[in-house]
Amino acid sequence: MRLVGATLYALRIPFIEAFSHSATDRRVSESVVVRVRDEAGTVGYGEGAPRPYVTGETVETLLDHLARDLWPRVAERALPPVTDLARLAGFVPETPCDAGIVAPHAARAALELAALDCALRRVGRPMAALLPPRRQRVMYSGVVTAGSIERAVQHARRMRAVGMRHVKVKVGFDDDVARITAVREALGSEVSLRLDANGAWTLERAVEVLDAVTPLGIAAVEQPLPRGRVNDLARLRAETTVPVMVDESLVTEADADALIEAKAADLFNIRVSKCGGLARSLAIAARAAAAGIGVQVGSQVGETAILAAAGRHLAAALPDVEFVEGSFGTLLLAEDVAVESVRFGHRGEASLLTGPGLGIRVVEARLRRLAIDVRDLTTEG
Amino acid sequence: MKTTTIRQSFERQVEAFTASAEFQALETGHADYEAFLENVARAHLKSPQLVAFLYALAPPAAAPTLQANLLEELGLGADGERPHPALLAELIRAAGLGHRLQDIEARAADDIRRIVTDPLLYGTLRDVGLAALAEIVAFEFMLSRVAGRIARALAQHRGLPAAALEWFTHHSEVDVRHAEQGLADLAAYVVYYDMTEDEALAIVELALRDDVFARRYFGYRSPAGAAR
Repeated sequence: MRLVGATLYALRIPFIEAFSHSATDRRVSESVVVRVRDEAGTVGYGEGAPRPYVTGETVETLLDHLARDLWPRVAERALPPVTDLARLAGFVPETPCDAGIVAPHAARAALELAALDCALRRVGRPMAALLPPRRQRVMYSGVVTAGSIERAVQHARRMRAVGMRHVKVKVGFDDDVARITAVREALGSEVSLRLDANGAWTLERAVEVLDAVTPLGIAAVEQPLPRGRVNDLARLRAETTVPVMVDESLVTEADADALIEAKAADLFNIRVSKCGGLARSLAIAARAAAAGIGVQVGSQVGETAILAAAGRHLAAALPDVEFVEGSFGTLLLAEDVAVESVRFGHRGEASLLTGPGLGIRVVEARLRRLAIDVRDLTTEG
Repeated sequence: MKTTTIRQSFERQVEAFTASAEFQALETGHADYEAFLENVARAHLKSPQLVAFLYALAPPAAAPTLQANLLEELGLGADGERPHPALLAELIRAAGLGHRLQDIEARAADDIRRIVTDPLLYGTLRDVGLAALAEIVAFEFMLSRVAGRIARALAQHRGLPAAALEWFTHHSEVDVRHAEQGLADLAAYVVYYDMTEDEALAIVELALRDDVFARRYFGYRSPAGAAR
């Protein structure tokens, strides 16, 4: 079946509460949903969440890349049969990278997911047909956002109230040690606590903070240094006992190779949108496994049920996953786009999505209502 | 359990609500009154179901007031009382929005469906009940202080007659008592179910978040230029 139509929805969904970290302060979601349609009328949905400080993409560049570079190269082409994920993902072509963009991965992820969803729905099969799950439930982490220490403690108490077993706190501020200490106290000693600096520290500052908080029991520190400082990450690993996780430093498979070569990370944070879709996420996870590096399946703040569903399938399918993030659903978004709730429940637990395709039913009327820009890319007259 | 902290939290929310640009617009004749009325109806059309759920969980000290509250919602509390959903439907019709009523009821039903079917955030029915009770009491608290102002604004700027505004006037009169009793019920609930004050506060805060009244009555606002 040939793909004959695509619609791009640039969404702007208000958050119930602001979400802040050292790199940004976000009050609305910014993502692009791609709806593709084949000649039989089967539709599939994908999503990409462009982040200038991660892949270099913006909503505008993503829309342009999809409309100008990606869609014309898949329009009127037949989707491969549902046999293996890599072959289906290969349907999305390699495209050149514009200046200033690390990789056009959010665009690629959006189209890849839409193609996978469409192909699976056409034959009424779930994602498990391509990505067999290894576990029946996924356990998500809570996140304590930036803001005052009082606010951080309030969030930590909420996390504890809903029984979260893993919590991450955003750091990268002058009061980091006091902040981490207060959050640990609010969470209690049984909850696993991680830090995320979003690249805000220098090597010296990272060592200073980690030395001070190591006795509090820190499961990992994510992106302590800015992207590009691979050798400094390796030095930090040598100077701290806290496992170092890379996020913004890990966008492409080449990044993964460089980080492995430099022995710069204990953990990879793999996010479907950031890493260019499920196939590339799996490829990076395979490199991590071969190098003895742990994996976190991460998420984009404000992602809708579409990316959340993709992340859940990935988290359920990987052999070993240390931590999983995302699926906040309507805990963060004023409204989500699917009939099914993808939000995690008590303790951060969530069950698998077993319906056709990505396992969720997207409500197109909601996409239209929540979109600030809609572009139709139909090949038919 | 002391209710001072919860009262302060409610007061802060009421203050933020009445200070919001949307509330100011409501009082000065510049609001989207149709959207406001639809949101109010959607927020409260299913209150009897929620109060019934809370009555089932009520500790002995709070059961009589929750029972009275439930009967009031159902229009069974005293002779001549009408069910509150009927008052809301009348409000919608009087505003010329009768054609929208079916859709509003469907959205309210969908809200209840999501409450029932979404994965439960809390590990016990005790915690789920506290979250629901906190929201009911918070709205009683707010309405006891603001419903009269809203009714006056709707009469003045939307031309709604007194009969159509009964839901608001009823709540402004009744909820002064309800609100105080509600705070006492919250305290009784926490004591009866042996919760710590910190546990209870965390659940109350999570249930209300920062601006529960504005979110329910004015919808979600998208601050311009907020995302980077």
